[in-house]
Amino acid sequence: MPRRPATRSRRAAVRDGWAATLAAVRALGPVALAGCGLPTPTRTVTIGLLHSQTGPVSISATPVRDAQIHAVEEINAGGGLLGRQIEFTAPDTRSRADLFPNRARRLLDGGAVALFGCWSTPSRKAVIPVVEEYRRLLFYGVPYEGNESSKYVVYGGQIPNQQVLPVLDWLQSAAGGLRRRLFVIGSDDLHGRTMTHVVRRALIDRALQFAGVTLVPLTAPVTADTVETIAASGADCVLSTLAGTPALALFSRLAEAGLDPRRLPVVSTTIGEDELRLLRPEVVAGHYAVSAYFQRDPGAANGEWIAGFRREFGFDRVTSDTMETGYSLLHLWAAAVRRAGSVATGAVLQALRDGVSFAGPGGRLAMDPATQHCAKPCRIGRIRTDRQFDVVHESSAPIPPDPYPALAFPGWSCDWTKEGVVRGAEVKLDGDL
Amino acid sequence: MLYWIYDIPSTSLALGMIALFVGIYWGGALVVRPILRQFVRSTPACNDVVGYVLSCFCVFYGLLLGLIAVTAYQNFSLAEANVTHEAAALAALYEDVGQYPAPWGQNLRWALRDYTRYVIKYAWPLQRRGIVPVEGTIRTQAFQEQLLAFQPESPAEEILHAEALRQFNNFLEARRMRLFAVTSSIPVVMWYVVILGALITIAMVWLFDMKFVTHLLLGGLLSAYLGTMIFLIAAMDNPFRGEVSIEPEVFETLYAHMVEE
Repeated sequence: MPRRPATRSRRAAVRDGWAATLAAVRALGPVALAGCGLPTPTRTVTIGLLHSQTGPVSISATPVRDAQIHAVEEINAGGGLLGRQIEFTAPDTRSRADLFPNRARRLLDGGAVALFGCWSTPSRKAVIPVVEEYRRLLFYGVPYEGNESSKYVVYGGQIPNQQVLPVLDWLQSAAGGLRRRLFVIGSDDLHGRTMTHVVRRALIDRALQFAGVTLVPLTAPVTADTVETIAASGADCVLSTLAGTPALALFSRLAEAGLDPRRLPVVSTTIGEDELRLLRPEVVAGHYAVSAYFQRDPGAANGEWIAGFRREFGFDRVTSDTMETGYSLLHLWAAAVRRAGSVATGAVLQALRDGVSFAGPGGRLAMDPATQHCAKPCRIGRIRTDRQFDVVHESSAPIPPDPYPALAFPGWSCDWTKEGVVRGAEVKLDGDL
Repeated sequence: MLYWIYDIPSTSLALGMIALFVGIYWGGALVVRPILRQFVRSTPACNDVVGYVLSCFCVFYGLLLGLIAVTAYQNFSLAEANVTHEAAALAALYEDVGQYPAPWGQNLRWALRDYTRYVIKYAWPLQRRGIVPVEGTIRTQAFQEQLLAFQPESPAEEILHAEALRQFNNFLEARRMRLFAVTSSIPVVMWYVVILGALITIAMVWLFDMKFVTHLLLGGLLSAYLGTMIFLIAAMDNPFRGEVSIEPEVFETLYAHMVEE
């Protein structure tokens, strides 16, 4: 029988083939499969930014949203919170208070662990029942009229005892021009009425007298008649709590009537650097605004913040009090989450009550455990021709918050470490009008 | 669909596809081929028959693969052109509104900056996950609201305003096209046909009667090329997903110009 030629068997060929294949896979595998595998789900914490991005309030609210986005990006760039990145959702509330509760619910249903935002009093009042129902926190960073406290709201803006009451003291001082008659102008809403009530009560037994008040309906413009009323009252200074477009129109009407700010200065509680961009400097220069922060505040932290913000959002962006507060509140929440080791409302609130703080561009921010408001400094700035402010008065230290000043709300107080809000006698806001 | 493949780097995906198809072929050559060959073993000149059928099949399959690859490439190119068009319209609009009187010009420019930043930082990552970003609409509405509130006070301003409105419409159109492209992809049924065709091709090659090593080599090469083609189509499909995708570079360049003095 002839011998078969000495060839490799099929079995040997297969065995060698497999060996070669395995060797190739072992050699190339690490290169070929680098980065392979199912994607690791990124763990995130979701928050809601509740701001009006269209409509009349957007001019003030959108910069606050930007400042808070900046804060979120800073936190994420630093490694996030508890090893998780912060994600935000920012729906548009279109400057309509009636849309706020719906948007807030949607955010909370979508898993937002906290809300940041609201601007006007009606929008805040509309969201409070929602956050109370869901037991989540709302961080509100706009100066407001006080006379309120909710366990589920952290208030970061100034309230009357940190804002208008020091202004009254300053106006009747030599530095303020020894003013004697004050006219109050505000919006015809809860904010305007409450502010007027507080001012009128504060003027009792002061050298500064009450000259009159005009509350402008929200949809009505500030007219020449309004200015005539002010001039006829014999006032030598004006306190404006007007918000939005009417706040700006007031300055234009005063200038048109030839009322010089040296003779009749206006102190506004709502106007900031962003709003000043909308006015011609000659119309508004020389008037005043009261705030806890001005862009020109000295300090390395402020300089760094402004530089960082401009790097991200543009060289010509300005910063304002509400932006600074919004930014600092978000960082304050983040610090509280880190301290608590959790995003749960109770744990965060406890961390805030335990004194967690954030050194913001305008100073250190911490929540007062009793009132859930923040101690804020009072600064009064004279408006310059470059739409910035010269600080002419500054409180020696941050002023502790008192949302229910006894002179305006006798018997009312608030302490969330004890029994919460203690209700006094009913206060009729319209009684002073 | 297997969207997770877009999270794999392109090189790895290509090699993985090749390995998958070659693996199927080699595995089948070992396990299935001896069974399949029973059907053709008794046929004289079986290789000629299989070769004839395979070449006929490959004409149709090749055409299908070619057309799908071209379609995927065209979709990709179109989406890329729309992105460039949107950025160009945005740049022109930014220049136009910069000529508006203060404070209109500044407000409008800030609104466009806000939009551009959102597209780069937030919309693009969502698009990469196949999600149509919605908050860009808020930003375009904010811009539109301010643009429409402007009342020209001179003939020059009227011309400028008309041009800005025209440019804004161009921009909106391109933006809408970009958003449509986020979810555009080859229909699933086409993928079924492509995969089935690849498997039939491989199965036909199993029927050839030739030396085993030659089988592994020739069939392996064919399968590797099939894997490469399918990788190519998959990579170019879904133009905003994966490593071979449209990047926001044009917006980034524009934004760098917008934020610098």
